[in-house]
Amino acid sequence: MTEYYPALLMFLVVCGSLMLGYPVAFTLAGSSLICALIGASVGLFDATFLSAMPNKLFSIMTNQTLLAVPLFVLMGVTLERSKISESLLSSLGVLMQRLPAGLPISVILVGVLLAASTGIVGATVVTMGLLSMPTLLKQGYSPTLASGTICATGTLGQIIPPSIALILLGDVISNAYQQAQLNQGIYSPENISVGDLFVGAIIPGVTLVVCYILYVFLYTLFKNNKQNTALVAEHESKSSLAELLNALLPPLVLIILVLGSILAGIATTTEAASIGAVGALFLAAFKRLVTRKILREICLETALIASMVFMILIGAAVFSLVFRGFGGDELIHELFQSIPGGTFGATLAVMIAIFFLGFILDFIEITFIVIPLVGPALLSMGLDPIWLGILIAINLQTSFLTPPFGFALFYFRGVAPNTVSTAQIYKGVIPFIAIQIFVMILIAIFPGMATWLPSLIYQ
Amino acid sequence: MNPKSTKRIWSLIETNINHLVKRLGVIIAYLVLFTAGIEAAIVLLRYFVNVGSIAMQELVIYLHAIVFLACTSIALQMNRHVRVDIFYRSYSVTRKAWIDLFGTIFLLLPTCGFIFFSSWDYVLTSWSIREQSSDAGGLPTLYLLKTLILLFVVLLALQGIAEIIRALSIIESEKND
Repeated sequence: MTEYYPALLMFLVVCGSLMLGYPVAFTLAGSSLICALIGASVGLFDATFLSAMPNKLFSIMTNQTLLAVPLFVLMGVTLERSKISESLLSSLGVLMQRLPAGLPISVILVGVLLAASTGIVGATVVTMGLLSMPTLLKQGYSPTLASGTICATGTLGQIIPPSIALILLGDVISNAYQQAQLNQGIYSPENISVGDLFVGAIIPGVTLVVCYILYVFLYTLFKNNKQNTALVAEHESKSSLAELLNALLPPLVLIILVLGSILAGIATTTEAASIGAVGALFLAAFKRLVTRKILREICLETALIASMVFMILIGAAVFSLVFRGFGGDELIHELFQSIPGGTFGATLAVMIAIFFLGFILDFIEITFIVIPLVGPALLSMGLDPIWLGILIAINLQTSFLTPPFGFALFYFRGVAPNTVSTAQIYKGVIPFIAIQIFVMILIAIFPGMATWLPSLIYQ
Repeated sequence: MNPKSTKRIWSLIETNINHLVKRLGVIIAYLVLFTAGIEAAIVLLRYFVNVGSIAMQELVIYLHAIVFLACTSIALQMNRHVRVDIFYRSYSVTRKAWIDLFGTIFLLLPTCGFIFFSSWDYVLTSWSIREQSSDAGGLPTLYLLKTLILLFVVLLALQGIAEIIRALSIIESEKND
């Protein structure tokens, strides 16, 4: 085991450095390089590994799949900045207000439709929080239910296609899958695409949404905590039907167009993303919602998010080069051999590790750092890549929701009114965490939930 | 030179770098519109007219690379790179400045240096043969795309210098209070 100490030590040094709070992308690269320098000077590190850097950079720059990231971000940011998301939420709220739990249900539905396109937990939770928290409270829903719903829905964007998270995960998992097959001596490896992962995420995603809605519905029905029914009735107006359709239909059509073209095999994920982005821009322009200032904001915001994502990818590339140079691959392999319980034990261990990593790292970092390390080893054990990908996505989503370190909770705390206590937020998310764990166990027992639909479509 | 005018020079350097990076970032950010537009045009052309263009496909990749490589610097300036902020968020302004100072000197700048020097020969080789796209019908300017790697780290290092000056002035002003 001693021959693995350098790799282990390097991993710990990098994790420790991340805690400093300097931007992740540069910390990953910088601290790895420092380790490499020290390692090389005492003869523990083979510096030839680093010569692959320019090639790695170039392949990041020219990655066709990851091109979908800025395009989907552009679509999401356009819908958000031009207030299309906002009017969608309020119209749906009006439509559903006769139902018990109508507003929280619309929050969930809008979250599903629109959170997916930005896919960054923080952004989604903040937007949804600012948009719907005041309305929910005004309509008399308890702060516990309101905050739980918003936090959970904000993280839901991770798994509902077309989410950025699934694109990144799809790219990384497909590389890991090919690696795993090569390791097993299969020289004409099968491939999976981001599209497969999207399709695979549909049934688990819908299951989650249905469970969320069911919970919110039952909670409102039984707790009967919605005191201000009078206030709701006041808001109703007959004239709003045209307005309603006007607000609802265009974004719905857009999302269906994007998803439909991927599912029907007409377009790749990247192509569909471009259609989505251009569609959103036309929609916003058609509704005269885009001023020059807003257009500038949309472009800059998209570029900033894209840069952030790709810089982490570059930092993670440096990290993985150095980690390999220290013999990290063998370390991981050895670790997996020593975990009892075979494939099940290894999968469980990885899931638990990812869950806890989710407390300190965002989706992007975990996808780029951890999955390339553990993915090939796990997939060599014969696991289905789509199933594994979906499970990881839901697992991370749960992690972001779990107190006290969940990302979503931090972001939500930042925008929630001070009248809502942190304890109420924590209490609010617990039922949703239970739902997440329930669905995860369900998928673990019935892998078909993730794998059946892709196998059907891509026969 | 008296300390006051030295300080002025430093702050002038910082302001100029910030200006440059911001100007460049804001203008280049508009390219995302072209990235999306051309990619969408590719889909429509293929679907309706059954025409495919490798050059257009590569142009999209070029634009996309230009955007994220150039805007990494403005993202640094605007503090938009994700941090693990469990502890960082509760630190005082001065302490944050110390971490940013340390991080920029020991993490960011070495990263820039490493990428620059490890890619130098790679880019030079590409220039020496005026490397073209390996696909027929592709763009003949692959060496320019590769050159972006060098420009990217130079710009990032420049912003890094501005960040160092910013952090130092925060630390300095705290000392004087």
